[in-house]
Amino acid sequence: MRMVLAWVTGMGAAFLLAPAVYANGWNMPVGVTEISQDIYSLHMAIFWICVVIGVVVFAVMFYSLFRYRRSQGAKADNFHENTTVEVLWTTIPLLILVGMALPATATLQKMYDPSGADLDVMVTGQQWRWHYEYLDEDISFTSSMSTPGTQIRGEEERADEYLLDVDNPLVLPVDQKVRFLLTSDDVIHSWWVPDLAVKQDAIPGFVNENWVRIEEPGIYRGQCTELCGKDHAFMPVVVHAMEQDDYEEWLADRKEEAEAEANSVDREWEMDELMERGEQVYGSVCATCHQDDGSGSGEFPALAGNEEMLDDVDWHIDAVVNGVSGTPMAAFGGNLNAVELASVITYERNAWDNDTGDVVQPSEIQELLE
Amino acid sequence: MWNVIKSVLAAFFGVQKERRRQEDFTHGEPIKFIVVGILLAIVLVVVIAMIALTVAG
Amino acid sequence: MAPKLPPQHTLEQSSATTTAGQAQEHDHHHGGPTGIKRWLLTTNHKEIGTLYLLFSLSMFFIGGIFALVVRAELFQPGLQLVEPEFFNQMTTMHGLIMVFGAVMPAFVGLANWMIPLQVGAPDMALPRLNNFSFWLLPVAFGLLLSTLFMPGGAPNFGWTFYAPLSTDYGPPSTTFFIFSLHIAGISSILGAINIIATILNMRAPGMRMMDMPLFVWTWLITAFLLIAVMPVLAGVITMMLMDINFGTSFFDAGGGGDPVLFQHLFWFFGHPEVYIMILPAFGIVSAIVPAFARKPLFGYASMVYATASIAILSFLVWVHHMFVVGLPLAAELFFMYTTMLIAVPTGVKVFNWVTTLFRGSITFETPMLFALAFIVMFTIGGFSGLMLAIVPADFQYHDTYFVVAHFHYVLVPGAVFAIIAGAYYWLPKWTGHYPDERLGRWHFWLSVIGVNLTFFPMHFSGLAGMPRRIPDYALQFADFNMVSSIGGFIFGVSQLLFIAVLIKCVRGGEKAPAKAWDGAEDLEWTVPSPAPLHTFETPPDLTSQAPQRH
Repeated sequence: MRMVLAWVTGMGAAFLLAPAVYANGWNMPVGVTEISQDIYSLHMAIFWICVVIGVVVFAVMFYSLFRYRRSQGAKADNFHENTTVEVLWTTIPLLILVGMALPATATLQKMYDPSGADLDVMVTGQQWRWHYEYLDEDISFTSSMSTPGTQIRGEEERADEYLLDVDNPLVLPVDQKVRFLLTSDDVIHSWWVPDLAVKQDAIPGFVNENWVRIEEPGIYRGQCTELCGKDHAFMPVVVHAMEQDDYEEWLADRKEEAEAEANSVDREWEMDELMERGEQVYGSVCATCHQDDGSGSGEFPALAGNEEMLDDVDWHIDAVVNGVSGTPMAAFGGNLNAVELASVITYERNAWDNDTGDVVQPSEIQELLE
Repeated sequence: MWNVIKSVLAAFFGVQKERRRQEDFTHGEPIKFIVVGILLAIVLVVVIAMIALTVAG
Repeated sequence: MAPKLPPQHTLEQSSATTTAGQAQEHDHHHGGPTGIKRWLLTTNHKEIGTLYLLFSLSMFFIGGIFALVVRAELFQPGLQLVEPEFFNQMTTMHGLIMVFGAVMPAFVGLANWMIPLQVGAPDMALPRLNNFSFWLLPVAFGLLLSTLFMPGGAPNFGWTFYAPLSTDYGPPSTTFFIFSLHIAGISSILGAINIIATILNMRAPGMRMMDMPLFVWTWLITAFLLIAVMPVLAGVITMMLMDINFGTSFFDAGGGGDPVLFQHLFWFFGHPEVYIMILPAFGIVSAIVPAFARKPLFGYASMVYATASIAILSFLVWVHHMFVVGLPLAAELFFMYTTMLIAVPTGVKVFNWVTTLFRGSITFETPMLFALAFIVMFTIGGFSGLMLAIVPADFQYHDTYFVVAHFHYVLVPGAVFAIIAGAYYWLPKWTGHYPDERLGRWHFWLSVIGVNLTFFPMHFSGLAGMPRRIPDYALQFADFNMVSSIGGFIFGVSQLLFIAVLIKCVRGGEKAPAKAWDGAEDLEWTVPSPAPLHTFETPPDLTSQAPQRH
């Protein structure tokens, strides 16, 4: 019995002290928004209420277990039912719950007010990456996990940001109200960044709303939290929050790049340029399913030596731009621009000993897209 | 009828005096309790819904 | 116009006595069917109960092996043992097998064995239906397990099978999965009908509703829940079937459907389902705690009321599984308030058990140990449930390991511990021998340590931001996962001790008298141990006795 008591006390102490001692990494992050801080306080308040109730109930329980052992000669009483006690232990929890419901309701009302946003960002979930579109700025890009497969398979040492790093983070200004519009192209995903306390499902055919006002510049990481298929673990969210000036500079650079790319659509591209660009695009968009070496996996066909694709360039272009119905192959016409599409198709037709020599020009694709 | 409602409310709250419980079980008709129980459950839902709608504005 | 039948009860009583009488004669003079046929054709509630329990035990081990595959992969970051596709099949099958194959049939098995004994009935009301409801289960789960060997693999979309991942994007085996759930659902509904019919019609003369043991009460309420929600599950999987095979678009936004509708329907079934898995556990603990405290349950009536309240509220809270799907503020508030309300009757239960212990005369045999562990750890699961009810906080907890920790605390040291406690408690009645106390204690302590090592760190990994259903994770979650995996293997391996206890107990051990535990009061302790194949052929007359509980 003494052993039991020691064990219980030990467990209790560990439970109580752990969050205080290891505030980092054991508990919910306090976060960098007003809402996330409100949520953290709610979380701690309800936690301590539970701890107090637990201590009282378990104290009575373990006292009884210890004090009224038959081995120590305890004789059983016969009492049962007592209206006063029963009314008390129904009423007190009710009052505690009302006390908890009030601040929770207030926080929820704040969270449900997306009005007066300074910036709108459309977030689209796709198996297995995020696509961001700055609605008033005419900028959009895809954000895929950048952790290489070699780290996942343990062939290379794992980086600190293992599984939580992307090629293109979402860049947001601090102290601005940013409204997110979330949707999905395929299955349900969920966009979550713990430090921002934003978690919202992205549902195909529906648009959800949420918002954030970040108080501190920094890099905040999260993950998809709704099971969305085989690479659910591999679609991280990275938000890079910047001061307004830095954000505007980033925005200007991004626009310039986009413009340069748009202008380059019409010119003739060299094979080498397309292959270089195509390898990048392939790595960030295609490799999760078709693998880096084009060998495919499971229901995702190999592209290396794929005759259906290599024999018919028009079929290949159609498959990439419009998707293949009845298969998981998505339509990329809406997410990638003409240069990216042309280069990735060229890459697929010439990499891994495919060597068809075909060059697909961005201008061809541009025509198709229009 | 008032007694039935009181008993059902006591059941919702989960506490009932032993004497009244005995009375209900010896003299009461089950069907009355069931109908009143369902009606009061609907009332409970409506009340909570009204609170939620009011708070949500 | 049909001829007027004699009043229902006389008809039933007379037919019940004749069948029981014939069966007994059959047994004594000709011997029933033997070998495999005895088990295939049996209509005896004790034999069918045993079949249910053995089936559930084998599913518990199969589902457990799936869980250990998951834990082994999660032992370290990186992909070591299985590919993500197979990992998803393992999490899905683990959930489906444990919920529908292990926990639910275990409770039905206990109901089959104990409800007739506890209400003084000779058998279940519908013995042949009883046989049918059991034998549907091996068919259903044989089919479900066979999907593992199909091209494209087993279902891989989680036990909640959200559309459109399970419809437009599901593997070809999804149709078989739907069929197997239909069969399991029919089995549950038939079982529930049988239990209700038995409890309402076959109680011994003089046993009023408020004289019934709490296990009977909780099962009565559970059976009504089953009948109410299993058809909803059948409906939602039929809609999936249509979407997959017949070109409808119930859940496909591209065809005008609504993926969120799926979640509403699923959780309208799913939340009461959660209580289906816990209410009978309350009944078992409410039998064991008074027996080993040698003191009547503190508030019998309020336990019945609390069970009913929980059952009614269970229909009003389903959206708390969907707080982040983007619902209007008023809906979130409504479901937050109703969810918080459930804490009240649940608290009442815990307070009642604790008060029953107060000033008792307590001993710590294995059934009591498991029941006490149930009270403590179910309460911890209840606390995290209360935290999850706070909607703003749920935005952070949702779909993380915090949720995994929560529902495993209420299901493993909750429902599963209660089933094990019930098994230890009633084994003397089933086999005539006491279970080995020393092995039982080892089983208990290793299980408690294993369970807490497995599931307690999940609270931390969840709060720190680890999503559920991922085969690989970021480095900051590595320590928690390693501890969880070690705990999982301790828990899994220690269940082999349970098998040892069972085998030992069936083969021999200390002989148990009719009343195996000196504090146990219900009717099952008035028949010999082991209980003969046929009991209460003449119902015990309780009319003359002082009311049992009041």
